[in-house]
Amino acid sequence: MGLLAVIVVAACAAPLLAPYPPSEQFDDRAYASPTRIHIFDAAGVHAPFIHPLVIEDRLARRYVEDPATRIPLRWFHQGRLVVTADPTQPLLLFGADAIGRDVFSRVLFGAGLSLGVTLAGVAGALVIGALVGGIAGTVGGWTDSGLMLAADFLLALPGAYLVLVLRSMLRPVLETSEIFVLMSALFALAGWPHAARGVRAIVATERTRDYAEASRAAGAGTWRLALQLLPAARGFLAVEVVLLVPALLVAEATVSYLGFGFADTSASWGRMMQDAGNTMVLADAPWLLAPAIAVFVVVLGTQLVSRAGARSTILIAQSPNVQPS
Amino acid sequence: MSIALARFIAWRLLVAGLFVLVVSSSAFILVRLTPGDASREAFQTGVSDASVAATRHRLGLDQSLPVHLAAWIGGLARFDLGTSSNDGRPVAGVVASHMAKTASLAGLALVLAAALGLPLGILTGTRPDSWVTSIVTVVSLVLVCCPPIIGTLALSLLGASTGLISIAPGHYLWPTLALALPLAAMLERLQSQAAAEAFAAPDIAAAAARGVPVGRLVWRHASRQAFRPVLGVAGIVVATLFSGSVAVETITSWPGLGALMIQALRGRDLYLVAGCALAGATLIAVGNFCADLLRAAVDPRVRLIS
Amino acid sequence: MLVVLVLAGYWWSRTTPGNSQAGSLTIQNGGRIVSTYRSEPKSFNRYVRSGSADEVISRLIHATLVRVDRKTGKVEPRLARSWTASPDSLTWTFALEPDVTFADGTPFTSADVMFSFQALYDPKLNSGLAASLMIAGKPMTVRALDAHTVVLVFPSTYGPGISLLDSLPILPAHKLKGALEAGTFQDAWSVTAPLADITGLGPFVIREFIPGQRLVFARNPRFWIRDASGRQLPYLDEIELQFAPDQNTEVLRFEAGEADLMTDRVRVEDLAALRDLAAKGRLTLHDAGISISPDALWFNLDPAAKSAHDRPWLQREELRHAIDLAVNRTLIVNTLFLGQAVEVAGPVTPGNADWFSPELPRPAFDPAQAAKQLATIGLVDRNADGFVDDEKGRTASFSVLTAAGNSVRERSVAMIKEHLSKIGLKVEWTALDLGSLFQRWTTGDYDAIYFAIESDAFDPGRNLEFWLSSGPYHLWRPEQTAPSTSWEGRLDTLMTQQSSTMDATQRRQLFADAQRLFAEHAPALYFAAPKVTVASSARLEGISASALIPPVFWNAEVLHVTGPRR
Repeated sequence: MGLLAVIVVAACAAPLLAPYPPSEQFDDRAYASPTRIHIFDAAGVHAPFIHPLVIEDRLARRYVEDPATRIPLRWFHQGRLVVTADPTQPLLLFGADAIGRDVFSRVLFGAGLSLGVTLAGVAGALVIGALVGGIAGTVGGWTDSGLMLAADFLLALPGAYLVLVLRSMLRPVLETSEIFVLMSALFALAGWPHAARGVRAIVATERTRDYAEASRAAGAGTWRLALQLLPAARGFLAVEVVLLVPALLVAEATVSYLGFGFADTSASWGRMMQDAGNTMVLADAPWLLAPAIAVFVVVLGTQLVSRAGARSTILIAQSPNVQPS
Repeated sequence: MSIALARFIAWRLLVAGLFVLVVSSSAFILVRLTPGDASREAFQTGVSDASVAATRHRLGLDQSLPVHLAAWIGGLARFDLGTSSNDGRPVAGVVASHMAKTASLAGLALVLAAALGLPLGILTGTRPDSWVTSIVTVVSLVLVCCPPIIGTLALSLLGASTGLISIAPGHYLWPTLALALPLAAMLERLQSQAAAEAFAAPDIAAAAARGVPVGRLVWRHASRQAFRPVLGVAGIVVATLFSGSVAVETITSWPGLGALMIQALRGRDLYLVAGCALAGATLIAVGNFCADLLRAAVDPRVRLIS
Repeated sequence: MLVVLVLAGYWWSRTTPGNSQAGSLTIQNGGRIVSTYRSEPKSFNRYVRSGSADEVISRLIHATLVRVDRKTGKVEPRLARSWTASPDSLTWTFALEPDVTFADGTPFTSADVMFSFQALYDPKLNSGLAASLMIAGKPMTVRALDAHTVVLVFPSTYGPGISLLDSLPILPAHKLKGALEAGTFQDAWSVTAPLADITGLGPFVIREFIPGQRLVFARNPRFWIRDASGRQLPYLDEIELQFAPDQNTEVLRFEAGEADLMTDRVRVEDLAALRDLAAKGRLTLHDAGISISPDALWFNLDPAAKSAHDRPWLQREELRHAIDLAVNRTLIVNTLFLGQAVEVAGPVTPGNADWFSPELPRPAFDPAQAAKQLATIGLVDRNADGFVDDEKGRTASFSVLTAAGNSVRERSVAMIKEHLSKIGLKVEWTALDLGSLFQRWTTGDYDAIYFAIESDAFDPGRNLEFWLSSGPYHLWRPEQTAPSTSWEGRLDTLMTQQSSTMDATQRRQLFADAQRLFAEHAPALYFAAPKVTVASSARLEGISASALIPPVFWNAEVLHVTGPRR
């Protein structure tokens, strides 16, 4: 749980924590390895510093440190937590990508996008799922069968295919905010069936309770009744969040990796992982996997949280469902 | 074969067929509605309006959507899925070969995952205190958080730097491991839970008290009950495998259905997308059908509830 | 579980079969090579479709009347053994090689040459190839004097001369005449045609084609050209083209020793690893010079364009000059190309040594001057948000489209965006699939595009589709009925003159003027031209790598191997 909290806070505080804006390209730093922070050097102990990087072989992307010069770190400088004293010698905690952008900063800014679109998608999926499941469970009969048939149909489809086909239908958009809204909507569409099934089962059971009958007898309409019954599904929906978050996060990674999601300008984790797709480069620059590790950490966090409620996870997982992954 | 079983199978086949038809038709409609089509080829000089119109006619794009859809479905009956607008090849052949590649990859991954996950799950479920269980549990937890896209990239780093895994395109190990490992971990976790519960059941405990050896107990008595929950997630497994295969095939250059679908979507290749959707839906339906049969075999109650 | 692992291991360890040939110091006859290719052939009929795969296939299975040597630029005889020109250089008489037969045994005669031209200029067919074989929009006329002599008449003086015949493969009349007359020539040699129908005069024939997998060429036993020692060419027995879905796969296969060649030039990020392998003797790197078709950034200069309505500054020359000054080319060369490129400022690069004009001003990097240029068209930062705004106070922003799938191109645009943001221009960019990009370009639905069209000749006289305002590849405003600006009119005149005189010095002078005019008005902007390197396995020799397409297979008949693969 703590792990997740750290990540969320880091994502929100990205402009403060990240040393550099995600689009800043540093000269002569293509595929640079992570900057090493030193405290000792030949002259003794100092405040944390770095050595400037010099190109040894441009074509082989080999850099060496110049041990003669010290560049101290600057803290709380211009609204950022830490930078170096020399703007041309950047602090690259996770190294640099193909055009010299700081991977660490991009991972932090990307967290906002990737996690944001995931959470928005989860919220959307839960709202739609709760409504659909609520109505189905309350009304029963043909509506119930019809809605659940639709849900089952969508459940059987692999999420990635569904999102990709829907996404490719739409015109390529340029603005990051437009892409954000679009992807959240698509994820909500992919994620609602599972939630709907669970909610429907709970609501259908609740429907048979005395207070529900009483309410019906008193003349409550379908919507009012459904709204009265829905709170019973609270626990289920909470667990559902824990299931959907990793699924949708990975969906964002997949869709953006394949080029159908966020564009390069916006540093989403999935898009950043594209740089790691060139195997030969990856062998020399393994820090390009940082966004993948970030995804892993978030998924791990949700897994650990779900293990706290371990029983319910397994039980839910046993109903036919799909996770876009 | 009993009537109930026969009815069960017939019903399942019908549902599967409808599923395949609906999925592929939906894909067809969606792509058809997309603005822009493949009637003009990129950067070709000297293409007259007449030849563009001829291409549109050849691709069937001058018909209205319902007519076009009906014609395509009619073609299905003859196993004619049209021709790809990209290179003029018959879609049926292309899709079939790619479908085989995806099926072989997914099948191998499934077998590997089951072979790794299920026995380990039984082990950890029935011996909760051994050190092996602790190690397996931790590894499982880590792997379950490595969805195929992450796993593929991690394995590519492993392969490129150590050479333990061949990352040459067309070799099975890399993509299979990427798909199989998270699945194996999930199966292990489920199986562990189920085995622990089954093992704790009174009749098994009584048998153990009678002196029946643990091994026989596990395999003969508990396994039937234990496997049931795992078969219950067969639906997830199938869909997850295919969902994951899209990313895996792209990264590892595996010539499967996922990679073909991406290519087709990019090129707005109507027949190819519909063909891929058809093939994908077929594979899913087959997977679910086999799972249903297995479940019916293991659990007689399922046969009666159609 | 063990069984599964064993099975997996078996699958995994299966390797492709190699071949074994004893090596020797002299040129060894025989052997087979494997190359990879990435885009499927759309048709085996070069007259109908042209893609990179189609070009390679055409070079392998067909022959032309003459050929331009990619290294020397000289025109050399092929099917035409010798030729004479009339004093006005309009009429050329070609003596064809006698005793030449197609791969299927049918004798080659002037009738095949006549038929090829007939198909080329057939109005119903509307061949894309015809555009590069028209002189000032008019076709050439051909007549056959006898079975082994043809006379070609140019409608007007043509500077490049007969070198344009290098692009015309000669087709067999006996196989395709019927299709042309029946009007089915379009579909005659499609990818699904039976291979026995396809025959040509080239060094190889198509032996096998499995779409999506491989294309195999076998030696043409009836190829008429012999080497200096009298041995019949080609040296190689077989060439296999294996399909690879993307560049990563190609490089992996090549480095694993499974392929002898890759289709394209080496990517810059792979160059270091390949250089190390070359040092170990595992492969050879061939320098093909500097690219002659660098990526270009051009704007939609059609006054009727939607983009121009509320952003008139978008079509102003000053904007383009500002961008020219604001993009840091040194950074692009160093970061993106890792030093393996040269800075360029125009469409003609030093890679085109005969035609590049070195007196042109060198590309400059001057952001201060760029800001001044922007100010002259009313773009200044009026609200201190870091971006310049027009007179109405709206942020100056435009979008750039490019083609997906080329990481260098996409990264170039990302870098350009960053450089332009430093002078206050807001750039949005997106990568589209090729089809969508083409559609947006032809319908004029774009602000700016970053892309490159490969040219197939060094001589600018053969590239008039780009230079003339009426040309279909006059990128910023194609196919104009009359030049819309006075400078484009001047450019038209210069290029028309340049291509209709035979005087080499005059042609160079005129073209230097054209380049200067181009630089003055900068309708398209160029930043860096990469050095082209081609990689082959160490055993493959005879390669003469060229910056033109195809880089290796243009002289496939002299390729030979010195030993087995690996």
